[in-house]
Amino acid sequence: MPEREKPKREKPEREKKDALLHHWLTATADALPNHPALIEDERVTTFADLLCQARSLACLFQQNGIQKGDRIALVMPKTTEAIVSLFSSLFAGAICVPIHPQWPKDRVEATLSDSGAKLVIDGDLPPPRITDLRTRTEIPWPQGRRPSTFANTEFPAIFPAMEARDPALMLFTSGSTGRPKGVVLSHRAIGAFASWSADQFEITSKDRIACPAPLSFDLSTLDIFNMALRGATCMIVPESIAWMPRFLVQWLSTSGATCWYSVPSLLGGMLHQGKLEERHCRNLRLILFAGEVFPGPHLARLRATVPHALLANLYGPTETNVVTYYEVPQDFDGAAPPPIGRACPYADVRVDPATGELLAGGESLMTGYWNRPDDTRRAFCELDGKTFYRTGDVVSVAPDGDYIFAGRLDRQVKRRGFRIELGEIEAAFSRSDDILDAAAVSFDDSARGTMIAAFLHLRPGCEMPIADAKAHCARLLPLYMVPDRIMFLEAIPKGSRGKTDYAALKKLAEDAK
Amino acid sequence: MTQQTMEIKAPVRQYIQEHFFGAAPPVPLNDAMPLITGGLIDSIGMIGLVAFIEERFKIEFKPKEVNTQSLDTVEKIEGLIRSKLEQRS
Repeated sequence: MPEREKPKREKPEREKKDALLHHWLTATADALPNHPALIEDERVTTFADLLCQARSLACLFQQNGIQKGDRIALVMPKTTEAIVSLFSSLFAGAICVPIHPQWPKDRVEATLSDSGAKLVIDGDLPPPRITDLRTRTEIPWPQGRRPSTFANTEFPAIFPAMEARDPALMLFTSGSTGRPKGVVLSHRAIGAFASWSADQFEITSKDRIACPAPLSFDLSTLDIFNMALRGATCMIVPESIAWMPRFLVQWLSTSGATCWYSVPSLLGGMLHQGKLEERHCRNLRLILFAGEVFPGPHLARLRATVPHALLANLYGPTETNVVTYYEVPQDFDGAAPPPIGRACPYADVRVDPATGELLAGGESLMTGYWNRPDDTRRAFCELDGKTFYRTGDVVSVAPDGDYIFAGRLDRQVKRRGFRIELGEIEAAFSRSDDILDAAAVSFDDSARGTMIAAFLHLRPGCEMPIADAKAHCARLLPLYMVPDRIMFLEAIPKGSRGKTDYAALKKLAEDAK
Repeated sequence: MTQQTMEIKAPVRQYIQEHFFGAAPPVPLNDAMPLITGGLIDSIGMIGLVAFIEERFKIEFKPKEVNTQSLDTVEKIEGLIRSKLEQRS
């Protein structure tokens, strides 16, 4: 597949292939010490300050026994302290494991134990709380360390030597058997996407990037690492407004953000309920979106609302980050959703001729699933001596060479950009003693997009109000995985070989609308 | 229960019943039942609920005034609406 032409330029040393993500921050802080790295409400953190805080926290990690390859979990919203903690983990040679703070407690605990994290950092308000999970003791957050108290040359020698293939992040994603899987991403894998996006979208220190996705979502690699690489400013979207389109639009128009990166659902909400058309977002020059299909008519409306901005659809599962992209033309008519486009230059993208499945390899490919060699083996395939990830996404190829998303090979669904394995919802129901059998299907609702229906076969004599069934789910699963509709059946329909007849259930769900 | 409490809670309850339980068998909606953290209303539903409240009671929330915790039960919603109405008068 041909790559889109882009003028080549000589890359500075720090952008070379084997650079480490935290070294990007060091180089940028040297070049632009007083430039804002993070803006969170009224609070501004300069590059010098961010670097100093990150190194000083990394030293604290080391004093508490953190060694290369250890895991440090962050269970907190995307705040200044969370981003400091992320870079501190990298300086200390650890793998940073961001976990969504709104996940139910049980799921957070299971994920902490699965990752084998030695430290967990949590708390919504500064200062965060650091807990040593080996001893269950608290470590005080280093307060009041200012850049002047540390010379920039004081630290590097004592931090572990790292290589670009070493893991940097572990991001957990829904698992079909009921347990989330940890996707391990190396410095090189994350760096491949970040440095390409910096070139492709000409990101500079004048940019202010807003990405409302939590740190546990791979979308956050764009703003965090373009900040470190190019000196762009991360405009932290307050978590308290991220759910409400009208507040987001108000925030966006006063923040001076130049780049935006989110799931299409949020942009759709900002257009429809947030009245984006009525606000001037003159500075906004770039809008990127990923994570789900953007309905054609909504995207056409966005195109007309911000004619001056470059709009691009980025595609790729967490396991590979972005591997294809499509720039939305001015005359986009909205008759169909946008294509997922062409391969990014660092990615090797193929189509399995037998199934139409998109196979993605190249520099951004994950190392594997944490502690799950069987799942990793199943997810990968070898072609021409190279490793590819089987995305499970079926694609077709347009006459002009763009890839077009055509569906899934399995039962994974996307809802408001969140990736959901229906099997994980079924596994959650099966943990109730009152439920003998459960099946979940997705269906489309013209007004509300992807919906999920669950069918439950209760133990004879049991009664379960819908509110109780939903509450059971909400105790075990993130809220975005709780089914919209719950229906009770005398038995779950099965095919001749005893397998659940999902087609019949889907029809039931659609007919019940 | 005061007249005003009734006037606030009843339409909120009715909206929730109609929009989130739909054709399903009636669920006794308890004023202390967690709506969001209990998995009954999702984030899209919340946006609709806030729009309904703003229109019905002629109020407009500002960013720091509402969040997913402050709307989690009918009781909390009622308190929030009442304080907005008091600010206005």
